[in-house]
Amino acid sequence: MSRPLAVMLNALGLYGIALVLAAAFAAQLILQELPCPLCLLQRIAFALLAVGPILNVRFGPRPSHYALSLLVATAGAAFAMRQVLLHIMPDDPGYGSALLGYHYYTWAFIGFAVAIVLIAAVLLFDRQFEDGKMQAVEAGAFARAAVWLVIGLTALNVVATLLQCGFASCPDNPVDYELLKRGPA
Amino acid sequence: MEFTALFLAVTVVLLVAWRGARGPALALFAATLAACVATYLHHASDVLKLSF
Repeated sequence: MSRPLAVMLNALGLYGIALVLAAAFAAQLILQELPCPLCLLQRIAFALLAVGPILNVRFGPRPSHYALSLLVATAGAAFAMRQVLLHIMPDDPGYGSALLGYHYYTWAFIGFAVAIVLIAAVLLFDRQFEDGKMQAVEAGAFARAAVWLVIGLTALNVVATLLQCGFASCPDNPVDYELLKRGPA
Repeated sequence: MEFTALFLAVTVVLLVAWRGARGPALALFAATLAACVATYLHHASDVLKLSF
């Protein structure tokens, strides 16, 4: 695998992360389902997963950049598995609505597991690390747009989480936005 | 509040990774990941209200 192709695959990975963050936002805004603390932590892990691909796009592919993504994906899978186990008992309705039969945290676990497998698969190709002695590859518009898309969606999450939780700890079962509550008339 | 701070920290890490130097990006990444794990462990140590 050539270095430009590896950078292209990393850009595609960034679009995948952007899709996950956008889908979470869609569920929050359209279905009015506010994320619980563990749900927020899984979103944060998805956003942090983008650091490795961004470094690969900026500085060229390096094994250490993929290692960052593997660390985050492992942590994210642990966060998601914790929530799966919280609702593992029979007759537990789970948290939030289900999508294609699985709750979002189950999909998050699957997403992190898929990320681990894909990163391991990309690491199999040594040529991406040999060409040009680790020199950076010129990032095209496709890759640059992917980076800014993920950064923008993460910044939107800063605002959304601030509106939801306010300046206190986030409630376990949030039902409305703390900062948008109207005070007594 | 802690999750707003974590999202803000991740945004800064992403911006530094894209615009800044590699060393600071790696250091900020490590600090943010450690904060995420610490937040997880804090919540994981809560008493569970199980009903069985």
